[in-house]
Amino acid sequence: MARMVRSRLYRSTLGAVIETRPGRLVLLTAVPMLWLVAMHIGPIYEMFKISLFAGYPVEAHAAAGLTLGSYAIFFRDSLYYQPLIRSFIFAFGATAFTLVVVYPVAYYVARIVRPEGRSKALLLLLVPFWAGEIIRTFSVIMLLANRGAINALLREIGLIDRPIPMLYTSFSLGFGLVYLISLYMLLPLYSAIEKIPSHLLDAAADLGAGPFTRFRRIILPLSRDGIVSGCSLVFLTCIGVFATPILLGGPSTVLFPETISVFFHGASDRWPVGAAFSLILLVSSLITVGIFMRLVGGRGTKV
Amino acid sequence: MNRPINRRTSLQILGGGALAAPFIIRPKPGWAQSNTLNVTTYDKFLPQEFLDKFQKDTGIQVNVRLTDDQGKQYNLVSAEGGSPTTDIVTVAGHRLNQWLDSNLLAPVDTGKIGNWTKLNKAYQNATEIEGKLWGLPILIGFEGLAINTDYVKEADSWGVMFDPQYKGLTTYILNDFLSITMLYLGHDGDFVTYTGKPEVAQKAANEARDFLIKHKDMVRRYYDAGSEVQQMFINEDIHLGHSWSGPATKLIMDGLPIRLSVPKEGTYGFYYGLNVVNNAPNAENAYKLFNAVLETPEIGAAMTRQSGFNSTISGVGDLLDDREKQALDLPQDQAERITFFSSVNRDMKNEILDRAMAEVKAG
Repeated sequence: MARMVRSRLYRSTLGAVIETRPGRLVLLTAVPMLWLVAMHIGPIYEMFKISLFAGYPVEAHAAAGLTLGSYAIFFRDSLYYQPLIRSFIFAFGATAFTLVVVYPVAYYVARIVRPEGRSKALLLLLVPFWAGEIIRTFSVIMLLANRGAINALLREIGLIDRPIPMLYTSFSLGFGLVYLISLYMLLPLYSAIEKIPSHLLDAAADLGAGPFTRFRRIILPLSRDGIVSGCSLVFLTCIGVFATPILLGGPSTVLFPETISVFFHGASDRWPVGAAFSLILLVSSLITVGIFMRLVGGRGTKV
Repeated sequence: MNRPINRRTSLQILGGGALAAPFIIRPKPGWAQSNTLNVTTYDKFLPQEFLDKFQKDTGIQVNVRLTDDQGKQYNLVSAEGGSPTTDIVTVAGHRLNQWLDSNLLAPVDTGKIGNWTKLNKAYQNATEIEGKLWGLPILIGFEGLAINTDYVKEADSWGVMFDPQYKGLTTYILNDFLSITMLYLGHDGDFVTYTGKPEVAQKAANEARDFLIKHKDMVRRYYDAGSEVQQMFINEDIHLGHSWSGPATKLIMDGLPIRLSVPKEGTYGFYYGLNVVNNAPNAENAYKLFNAVLETPEIGAAMTRQSGFNSTISGVGDLLDDREKQALDLPQDQAERITFFSSVNRDMKNEILDRAMAEVKAG
């Protein structure tokens, strides 16, 4: 190693870079930057490129005609922004509902369960997530189908004669989605609530604050970071979700990702339109999350 | 010679590994894949026992990539351009022209398929276009009306799909059912007669689109894959639906109370073929698989039992039992109502129906 370090080749290449502070900085940031470029920016750039083509794939030896026509299709036709609006409404609703459902669970694990039992409690909550998303989606189908567990139980105890159609409705989609994404809300909330110092709550109680006041004045404001992170994660997941609405949704719950997929999977070849719509979805959802983080996360929040 | 592994040798090994990595992880060129065969096909088309035997007999590793839609399959291979990662695709007969226009298929040399004559004579020229054969037809099917006989008694017309008593209990593949709805409303759902008449075609498609939007409350769910309609019938989430003949026939073979018919307004038929992709890295292996598929009628029978579609291979009918024959059998008057999808005017049809599909979903 010492010989290698002393070698001219090493000193004129790697050694020269490592010996300076900017050089070390470049080396340290190179790997994450490469990852970001290759795995995140690269595919988005490719999608952007395709969205500007008049047709795709571009024929060999032919010049690629560039156009904004694929973007214009979206703004010209109400047909396409209706599913986008539906997606946003659905994502907002699912995010709010997930927060309401998961917050008490996170609070229970973080504050009520004894410290030595918290890992076990968290583990119990995480076990279902070891199975893949599709498997969990099918478990929801088995639960809600006409011959599924819930209808079978209701029929068995004599409450119904005919099955209640629960599957392929807004209900089944919402139910399934909240179940599938609750983990993204649970972990940030748990992390934030667990960090709240107990002495603040004790002091508030000593000064006469009731449970609701303690929650409103201490717990809720101090768990704001968890709420912002959890809601952002859940919202971004909901807005882009594809497989779940197809498997659990019905004819009235078509979301924007499914509309986009028509352009990639349809009989005719319209990848540029699909790529343009994908970028419209990406940009609009990031702007929404940015605004949310500014509003709820406060001035200090970096977007 | 035992050489101790010290820090220097470790560094040398790591350095060597780093240098060799690009060569180890690079995509293998076609000539290096002589023992593999990549097949894109539908679920249940190629029986696993057949594939196991083929792999054992030939030493060729078969990698199956599943698809559930002709459009998806075309778009993926089309995006790969001149460097396909699959050797064989499963193209429906009426889609062949689309693939040929994009130069994505290689003609089939029947001289390399010793068992070619075991293919039923009626289908030996089915893939012929401009004097060349473009695939090996394997299975035949049609778009049928499937009903659960426990709940639906009479169904001689596609109109039953819009009967209010079955509200929320029907299902269909939206793109395919737009064609059927056009047929039901008295139009040409295959667009053959609309060549050069885009306005007439658009008007007819719009009528079908508006009809489906008006009756949207009738449908429980739009589906894509055959397994989805099977699952909905099994769970009794639907009582009737439009289905490719294969998935519905399979349910009948399995003993479910399902009946498949061709309503009086008629329907469309199709066949699936195995096709060699242009520039396929393992084209010779593809021919070996084609030959093996035709080797004995037992393979065709297994394909029929698994998929529910009729086989194109001679002698398969003799191997099926009574229940299987009954499930596959269609009364003569209904069989005569089937018109095979044409490859004429496909571009217009695809463009208009894709848009209509998006409109129905958004509507």
